[in-house]
Amino acid sequence: MDIEKSLEALSQRVAYARDIMGTRVSDRLEAVSHDIVALGQKADSLSMEEALDKTGELSRRLTTLEDDLDQFLTPMDKVRVVRHPQRVCLKDILENVYDNYTEIGGRDEVSIDPGMLIARAYITRRVGKRVIHHPVMVVGQEKGHGQEFRNGGSIKPWGNAKALKYMKVAAQENIPIHAYVSTPGAYPVEDYPGAAQQIAENIYEMAGLDVPIVAIFSEGGSGGAEAIALADKRLMFSHGYYSVISPEGAAAIECKFHGLTRATPELIEQCAKHQQITAQDNLRNGYIDGILQEPPLGARNEHFDFFKQLRASVIRATDEVVVNVQSVSLLRRLAMRGSKRRQVGENVIVRWELAPDDRELLVWRRYQKYRKMSRQAYIDKRGIFERLAAKHMEFLFSIYSTVRYEILKHYQKKIARMATDVTDEIHVVTSKMDRLTCQAMEALGIPQWGGGSDESALTCLSEPRRDQGNSGGPAYVSPKALDDREVSCPHAATRGCLDIWARDLFGEFAGVCPNCGYHFPMEYQWYMANVFDRGSVREFNQSLAAGNPTGFPKFDERIQKAKETTHLQSSCVTFNASIRGIRLTCGMLVANFRGGTVGSAEGEKLIRALDLARKRHQPFLAYVHGTAGIRIQEGVNGLIQMPRVTLAVRRYIEEGGLYIVLYDTNSYAGPVASFLGCSPYQYAVRSSRIGFAGPGVIRETTGMDIPPDYHSAYKALSRGHIQDIWDRKDVRANMHQAFLTMGGRNLYYR
Amino acid sequence: MSRDQNKVLIANRGEIAVRIMQACRDLGLDFVAVYTKEDAASGHVALARELGGENALVRIHNYLDAGDVLSAADATGATAIHPGYGFFSENYRFARRVAERSRPMHFIGPSWRVIRDLGDKINTKRLARSLGVPTVPGSDRAIYDEMEAESIAQQLFDYQEKQGVSRPMVLVKASAGGGGMGIDEVHNMNRFRQTYRRIRNYSQRQFNDPGVLIEQRIFNYNHLEVQIVSARGGENPVHFGTRNCSVQSPGRQKRIETAPGFFPEGLSYSFDARKVMDDIVRHSLSIAREIKYDNVGTWEWIVTPKGDPFLMEVNTRIQVENGVSAAISRIKGQDGVNLIREQIRLGLGESMGYSQNDVSFAGVGIEYRIIAEDTQNRFAPWTGRIEKIAWREQDWLKLHTHVPQDRPYQIPTEYDPNLALAIIWGKDLEEAKARGTAFLDDFVLEGVDAQGVALKSNIAFLREKTKDLLEF
Repeated sequence: MDIEKSLEALSQRVAYARDIMGTRVSDRLEAVSHDIVALGQKADSLSMEEALDKTGELSRRLTTLEDDLDQFLTPMDKVRVVRHPQRVCLKDILENVYDNYTEIGGRDEVSIDPGMLIARAYITRRVGKRVIHHPVMVVGQEKGHGQEFRNGGSIKPWGNAKALKYMKVAAQENIPIHAYVSTPGAYPVEDYPGAAQQIAENIYEMAGLDVPIVAIFSEGGSGGAEAIALADKRLMFSHGYYSVISPEGAAAIECKFHGLTRATPELIEQCAKHQQITAQDNLRNGYIDGILQEPPLGARNEHFDFFKQLRASVIRATDEVVVNVQSVSLLRRLAMRGSKRRQVGENVIVRWELAPDDRELLVWRRYQKYRKMSRQAYIDKRGIFERLAAKHMEFLFSIYSTVRYEILKHYQKKIARMATDVTDEIHVVTSKMDRLTCQAMEALGIPQWGGGSDESALTCLSEPRRDQGNSGGPAYVSPKALDDREVSCPHAATRGCLDIWARDLFGEFAGVCPNCGYHFPMEYQWYMANVFDRGSVREFNQSLAAGNPTGFPKFDERIQKAKETTHLQSSCVTFNASIRGIRLTCGMLVANFRGGTVGSAEGEKLIRALDLARKRHQPFLAYVHGTAGIRIQEGVNGLIQMPRVTLAVRRYIEEGGLYIVLYDTNSYAGPVASFLGCSPYQYAVRSSRIGFAGPGVIRETTGMDIPPDYHSAYKALSRGHIQDIWDRKDVRANMHQAFLTMGGRNLYYR
Repeated sequence: MSRDQNKVLIANRGEIAVRIMQACRDLGLDFVAVYTKEDAASGHVALARELGGENALVRIHNYLDAGDVLSAADATGATAIHPGYGFFSENYRFARRVAERSRPMHFIGPSWRVIRDLGDKINTKRLARSLGVPTVPGSDRAIYDEMEAESIAQQLFDYQEKQGVSRPMVLVKASAGGGGMGIDEVHNMNRFRQTYRRIRNYSQRQFNDPGVLIEQRIFNYNHLEVQIVSARGGENPVHFGTRNCSVQSPGRQKRIETAPGFFPEGLSYSFDARKVMDDIVRHSLSIAREIKYDNVGTWEWIVTPKGDPFLMEVNTRIQVENGVSAAISRIKGQDGVNLIREQIRLGLGESMGYSQNDVSFAGVGIEYRIIAEDTQNRFAPWTGRIEKIAWREQDWLKLHTHVPQDRPYQIPTEYDPNLALAIIWGKDLEEAKARGTAFLDDFVLEGVDAQGVALKSNIAFLREKTKDLLEF
């Protein structure tokens, strides 16, 4: 019987290895498989010892073979590893890594989202004679070895909301959070709340959670991963992947460029390779802090050594995070540094509760950690002197900013109040003088100026209304307004709109159908010219250029072409401008440049703009002319911009900034699910579309056909994602009004 | 290109289409008429068929669909478009499109910049004031500030009191409004704020613009017009006298027009009527010169009982009542002036050929608009079938109608019910009035609607109003 069992186990290992290899065939594996079958057939004729010998030999052969195969796993093989039903899942980890746990927020099927598993767990540690119990909050996506109801770890918005709720509980209870990321991506559903809306909130809130967060990546798929992965330490399983989009998704997008209708396996393989999704790539790029070595061909339930190692790693990671921010921790820090190679934390006692000051420092460290990421991924075209000068100016400016806004603030108010008081005092005297002069002039019979002006005021030309900064002829003429053709409104059939002459439509009507109010897309230059005061736009950081950090094949030419056609260096334009005299900083995502996708250059530009707005005490407008998401060709370099920019946004808002987002055309995916979606004030121009995944992606991933208005601004308004819908012609006035009412007197409230 | 190589597309219907066709024929021009399904039986279609054959007719979907009209023009090879009045006549976008499209055509009307600048009443008022032309007292720009609005209203009340107006009144209207929407009057300063806020809120809601205009409300005024004609380039505008259009329906639709505007030879006025007419003509020409007005147009004025003229607006098109000015005008002593003919000629780029000194005036003209409406019942339009229309031809009478005389005619409900225009000329006011009364007595208009109710027309109303014509 034992023989049969062990043979069965062996053939399962073979089957697993076959699964991982995908379409490839390994001769050695087939040979082993053949031998296993052969042994099974003649097992009865062998003696027990012989049989055991033979199986033992086969097992050793198979182990060696697994080791060898493991050396040559392609990225796509690793994707198959993490997706395999036998892959360790969160429940296994809870059982084997933690000493005790209770599932909270619903259990198994009886949960608002069974894919999101949350547990209060305990780690009990012996240090010398002392026993320390560490309570932790474990959150993570649960795949459950292929259980249908887990939805493959694809989390619906309410699942993320649940995770956020208990992460906040953890912050309340001052216990660390361990986040196990194992998701192919978030489920693209726009209900209440929408997927993008909730992920944005998660990221924004996590940016400010003041307890240690350790994230462990097994399958890190895009926004779904980011929803719980903004962490102080990010570890990764050696066979995991962490990517902006699944290789199949990337291939589906790429196949248009290659002229294919469907993604071929070769293309998928190629995409997986060039997106740099493996743990080793991510460690090299600096997006994770460490790799947990898995057994050959990936960790499965029976690998108890792996769980032991995982336990040690998460404890050490949490210890490091805590010790690094604790004020009295010098000796322990040194001790831990020394013990790097040995068993973790033998002599070091670290308690995972943080003091209030330490918690602040923790959040600040987290900001800095992300700020430093992805520096290698964009092209800075400035020369060395320019860089030095910019550094210098930045330093001087921060001093000025501190003096001006922090130190002088109180005195400034005092002086202003004093001045008004003095003028009011003087007014008593001057008004008396005025009355006396009037009386004197009347007595002398001198006609007073101003008298009898009533009549002429009513019948003569009055002063024109004071310039609002944007009068005069059109400053910008759309190139679409130059050709002589008719444009049909998409509502023509339902609303009876007549065809519109292109020159009227894109000239005077600003791309708005005069009958039904449908907004045709306009160029971003239109907004530059019509929303902001004439001549007030000053662009900065033009020299940060988008590049091809992953060496994606043929992408250099494509990005070069985009640069040539748009005359931009990246899809983000950052500038200072004013609206009716109110100075503001604006970051603009331009749809013409590769669909307005966000890569590392765009993220960096936005962060720098946010920093500048913070130092200058200016409101910040994120104007989204259109964005298709994160630039998938940049891989994680792009994906990491979601938490990076969100952290900058959080810092800006927490220091009192006013952050307004305006969506113009189609805005989807990553940016909306992070630094745009987290703004408390988001507005959309009529006829824009806002959502997490476009209709095509939804059909591919969920098999649903969505109704045509699924992503319309009205739907976004009704589920509370955006605050209002504006007409294009009112953007300037409404924006001004928004700054007046939300910004308070100094436009930098608090 | 000489004149007769041109082909004019008439983007209009009814009476004006008929007159444009006749003018084209007089000038030896080819023309194309357009019509819709509802108008297939209309007189202008019949006349077009008679004068130009089937090739001169294109059926379109909608008179207001620019793309439709222009593709009809392209298909027939038209080189000019006459918009008539209404429809596209004051639509500067259409005018610009006609002139600037890849196959440009002549737009028979002023150039689009002129239409745009004078189409905006507030802009016209500001232009007038900058030239010292009197306009209705009040604001000449949209007011957004409540304090400012109140001070203007207060000034207006003070001004009227000083002028001795018995019932001072101020109008508050939405600057973005029009056609009687968002307009209200205030008798008393105490009620002003309430009214102002109501109009402002209405305007904000309806037009998304809270600006209001504040003006003096003027009672018992006379409505005068100045007919201006000018060639392309607009160097030397010529006027064709004044008209009086004070006889109107309660909905401010004109019913009788007379030329000249006042008749100081036979009637006495409480002010110097000759000077008023000279003033408004002078002022009108000064605006026309300033803006380089380059076609036919009408300056609308109101004259208060005390004889103060105020410019109201400029109509940058041919008007219904152009014939009455033509009836009393002589060019180089010749009668038979046809302003539509002049309009087409000048619209195609020809020069004037005469100056103001060549234009003289003789007699009095009256124009009646014969409309099927119930004057007893708030001038409600009557629709039905016209069985008979008849009148006696006279050498002092010109009658324009699109109603066919030889068969019954169903009045289309889609468009305004103007049936016929009668222009009567007399050597003085007495003769004109007598001829007018005689014409109305002879005029036969019979019909019946679907319920069997006999046709109701405004003939009795016109006869009544003829008695004290031009008196003020």
